[in-house]
Amino acid sequence: MTSIAFDRKSFSSNPGLLAWFGFIGILLVIGVLSAIIVFSRGLIVTNMTDVVPWGLWITIDLSSIALGAGAFTLSAIVYIFGLKQFQPIVRLAVFIGFIGYTAALLTLILDIGRPDRFWHPWVYWNVHSVLWEITWCITIYLTILLAEFLPVITETKFFDRWPWVRKVAHRIHDFAPALAVAGLGISLLHQSSLGATYGIVKSRPIWFKPSMPIMFILSAIATGPALAVAVAIIVEWITGKKVAEFKVLQMIARSSGLALLAYGYIKLWDLAATTYYGQTPNVDQALHLLRLQTPYNFSFWVIEIILGIFLPAILFLVPRYNKKPLNLVIGAGFAVLGVIVNRWNVTVSGLFVPLSYSPGTLYQLEPGRYFPSLVEWGIALGIIGYALLMLTLGVRYLPIFAKGE
Amino acid sequence: MPKKTKIEVNLTRRDVLTVAAAAVGSAVVAPLLTTGPLSPFGALKQGQLSASTEPEHENISRTHHWIMVIDLDKCIGCEYCLRSCCAVNDVAEDKPWNIVVEERTSAGTTFYFSRPCLHCQDAPCVEVCPVKATYVREDGLVMMDYDRCIGCRYCEIACPYDARKFNWEKRNDENPYVPTWGIPEVERRPRGVVEKCTFCVHRIDQGIRLGLEPGVDLDATPACVNICPVGARSFGDVLNPDSQVSQLIANNPTIRLRDELGTESSVYYLPPKEGL
Repeated sequence: MTSIAFDRKSFSSNPGLLAWFGFIGILLVIGVLSAIIVFSRGLIVTNMTDVVPWGLWITIDLSSIALGAGAFTLSAIVYIFGLKQFQPIVRLAVFIGFIGYTAALLTLILDIGRPDRFWHPWVYWNVHSVLWEITWCITIYLTILLAEFLPVITETKFFDRWPWVRKVAHRIHDFAPALAVAGLGISLLHQSSLGATYGIVKSRPIWFKPSMPIMFILSAIATGPALAVAVAIIVEWITGKKVAEFKVLQMIARSSGLALLAYGYIKLWDLAATTYYGQTPNVDQALHLLRLQTPYNFSFWVIEIILGIFLPAILFLVPRYNKKPLNLVIGAGFAVLGVIVNRWNVTVSGLFVPLSYSPGTLYQLEPGRYFPSLVEWGIALGIIGYALLMLTLGVRYLPIFAKGE
Repeated sequence: MPKKTKIEVNLTRRDVLTVAAAAVGSAVVAPLLTTGPLSPFGALKQGQLSASTEPEHENISRTHHWIMVIDLDKCIGCEYCLRSCCAVNDVAEDKPWNIVVEERTSAGTTFYFSRPCLHCQDAPCVEVCPVKATYVREDGLVMMDYDRCIGCRYCEIACPYDARKFNWEKRNDENPYVPTWGIPEVERRPRGVVEKCTFCVHRIDQGIRLGLEPGVDLDATPACVNICPVGARSFGDVLNPDSQVSQLIANNPTIRLRDELGTESSVYYLPPKEGL
């Protein structure tokens, strides 16, 4: 009953919603203005340099792709492993995944020096490059996400006029298990390759390790579904409509908690192996420099490990805490924060440590200092605005809620 | 009382045949994968076991491999190479392709160290480029295709030698080295692509067309080599045993920068006589 009333409400009759759209509008205006500046003047308007050629925007790419991982994880659970009780949340998860991946592509278009050549990886192949593989995987996966989501889009009233579109979309939906298998494979590939992007760079000792891709995919599997849970709960608070039963959300949060612990386990062992046991001089020096000159120590231990892994794991796993929806939302919030800070730390900290190649003892490159410029933050706000707009529109107009609600 | 566990083994002829076939199959496939021509490790082993200083890539039939030899004892740090390079290739003053820095040996003696692009034969930048905008040419040069580069800057991140520079904006700067140190022979690179030292490839290609020998004839030799007042830099074909660079490598100890990364760079340094 309430849902029908909500659907019929017009924009103007709801001041809260109007203010929300106003807020999103401001974010989008900031984003568009920043994008115009970037396109007209070039990347010189950023604070990136030849020493730190990647910065905030790459962090956004990596984070939004990792946070979109709920789509493939939950699709695989439902359509491959047959755990049908999770079906209700798949639509929302796929939608969040779609938002995450498109947000990443939007940022990438701004980040590359020649946006007019964005199509080159599809025509000029370098199969040896992880970045090439990632570009391909992301394109293919976005197509899969669209195919998975098409039936949902065609269920809207808009498509009453063209029933054949709906029919085609439902025919595609019959292939959901196949799409889930393809999505799982492609996601396992590129979610880890994003870590390999850093892990294979042999000139930078702090990055060069085989654990990089594993840590990336584990953190994505842990936080992606958790974000979907949090969004489902928040949407229910605001609209009163249920995406899925709380029991289902709780179970997803519990598995997220376990995945977080696995991620933490690999992360701590990685640290122990590269520093305490390995004592590789280059890695030691790099970490020493980071600790001395940047807040790396704090952001790694407090934000990444304690707030980003252990706090959410406790909130998700301890029965006393995971009964409250609020705790799941808080846990997911911190897990998301942990992943974003991790991607920032990986990118910027790795570039902060200068290369050393000179044969002598005197010449040292300067550490690569970097803090995003206003325009970079502006783009970040614009991307957030885009994500919130898509989410709001989706929640309002797309049938992503549990049937019979 | 411990329970008696009864183990039943039900093997059909089909099972036995399956297991046997799998065993035989693995026995055949395993050596093929580890040593055969299909093996991904084959090339690796050969490359690592070969003791020769010159990496032979069996799939490339080379006629030339252009290399540079830099004598660290001879270099006086005058930066003529840097200036000439900036003029001839119209490089931005604050982002030289070719750097010259003061250095110290472990004993404390000062020497000067300069670094062009090292034109690695197993170049990390080439491996990571998503569009093959940079590639190793048959004659050993690491080329840059400015028309294909998308400006993702991954090559800049992967290069162990800081040899790559990005065009963050459209350049309008006046080149202070022109015309004193040379006249631009190539176009400025557009905004949004990565650039680096080319070993003056335009001179090499044009020179060979005219029947000149790079490293011997000045018109076919990189600007930095020509202008060096003390002859610290030599250039030439390492596949020609009589070339100056081949002789230098044969008769002197040489080092290559970060050789342990397996980059197989094309720039050899003659270390100071007292050692590094």
